[in-house]
Amino acid sequence: MGIKNQIKSLLKQAKVYSEQGLLNEAKSIYIQAGKLMQKHKDRIKDQTLAVYISKKLNTLKEEINKVDTSSNTIPMPEAVQNIIKDKFSFAADDDSKALEGAVALAKFGQFERALEEFTNLIGRAAIRVDAAKNIIRCHKALNTVADSVENYHAWLQSDSFNYDQLVKLRVFLQNILDKKGMDVKLPQPEPPSSGKVTRIEPEPAVEEMVQEEEILDIGSVEITVSNGNSVEIDVSFQSGAVVNLLISKDEKDLIEFLKPDMKLEDVQFYSPIAMFKGRGTVVAMSKIESGPKQGDYSLDIEIKSLN
Amino acid sequence: MANINFKSKEIEVKIVYYGPGRCGKTTNLEKIHEIFRKNVTGEMVSAQTEGDRTLFFDFLPMGIGKVKGYDVRVQLYTVPGQVKYISTRKMVLREVDGVVFVADSLTVRREKNMLSLKDLQKNLKEYGLSILKTPLVLQYNKRDLADEGLPIMPIKKMDRDLNRQLKVPAYPGSAIKGDGVKKTLQTIIKLTLKSMKEQLNW
Repeated sequence: MGIKNQIKSLLKQAKVYSEQGLLNEAKSIYIQAGKLMQKHKDRIKDQTLAVYISKKLNTLKEEINKVDTSSNTIPMPEAVQNIIKDKFSFAADDDSKALEGAVALAKFGQFERALEEFTNLIGRAAIRVDAAKNIIRCHKALNTVADSVENYHAWLQSDSFNYDQLVKLRVFLQNILDKKGMDVKLPQPEPPSSGKVTRIEPEPAVEEMVQEEEILDIGSVEITVSNGNSVEIDVSFQSGAVVNLLISKDEKDLIEFLKPDMKLEDVQFYSPIAMFKGRGTVVAMSKIESGPKQGDYSLDIEIKSLN
Repeated sequence: MANINFKSKEIEVKIVYYGPGRCGKTTNLEKIHEIFRKNVTGEMVSAQTEGDRTLFFDFLPMGIGKVKGYDVRVQLYTVPGQVKYISTRKMVLREVDGVVFVADSLTVRREKNMLSLKDLQKNLKEYGLSILKTPLVLQYNKRDLADEGLPIMPIKKMDRDLNRQLKVPAYPGSAIKGDGVKKTLQTIIKLTLKSMKEQLNW
């Protein structure tokens, strides 16, 4: 086959790969065609083809970048949200199933809808505290933590929560407010008339493989990057053993360092009542495409062990 | 594990289409929606992102009528193929009853096929399932691209790469043309129901 035909054949291949959505494969073939042209430039005088290849490569690079950085927290239509809620909850009893459905919505980044669901679940005694904590988490993910303070005040006034539950919720929310540098001191709940006061003890620091049910609420995570510097980032949402972090676009070293599937051997996890060293795996990383956090990165770390 | 209601005599089966990005999982479901229009019991729901790539999953509910007096409903899902959506793939696989692994026949996608199959094995294992015991069918998709002059792998080579140990039914296909789509679905439903029969003594 002559050089011109070889190039034509490569360009045809690249076009089909591109139509198939196989962008990296198309890019490789265009590069191959470009190199072939360069090698035989003495025989190919017409530069139109070189310009064509260069244009195609630029378009492909843009498309690849769009795909690589596309957000995974796009609000979905109601039909999709309903399927998430109904089909990604597997518990046998109604309360646990309802909670699992709402957690699934949050796991899929549908925070507004999850918030509605958790709010509806406050009425159910068995899952009230979990629902309340998840309301706070959703507000954190949506950057509306101030609304959680209003929620807390409303819970204090209502008869829905007992004293112990309110103490737990206060510790949980106050920690988030402090981490965010918000100058808000939440009022203590009124102790019951018997005067018995509950003290929240730190969990035992025993190394164990992490089970979803055993995971504490993690407030922030400290990651050590390759140059030895460490960066502490607030957890924006937690679902079992997976914590979601929002990384500012300014944290260039950290963004450069982190890669999907990466195993993090030295991570510091901070919970409201204790801190742990542990291991984790980066299970998802994507650039936020729109909204107030545009340009920042969303990162999911699965906690593998805690010391 | 499939939902089986002995009282109302209803069975709900979950089948997941797995495979590397852009291998044709969504196209399979679209064709099924077309071919089995009478059996489809609801709308096909897709959650897609940039460049028509699946972001979360596609979902297609079907009814296949009565089997041994039980009303069998099949729910078909796809997973997002892009490597970065590891946790979503794992979530979609939860409580799966049968898997169709759609492999891309293009030579350039050889490694991606193998990595995706490994990812499937790992995710199943994390749910306590063995890939060797899970009802599984392979589909070697995009055979039609040979007509466009693109290099595709011979079936023998794909069998060697992907099916040497599994030894499961494998079909060549062209989801876009509908070739192999029906056979693949029929086989996975058959294998899944057979496996349920053995497990649940149904």
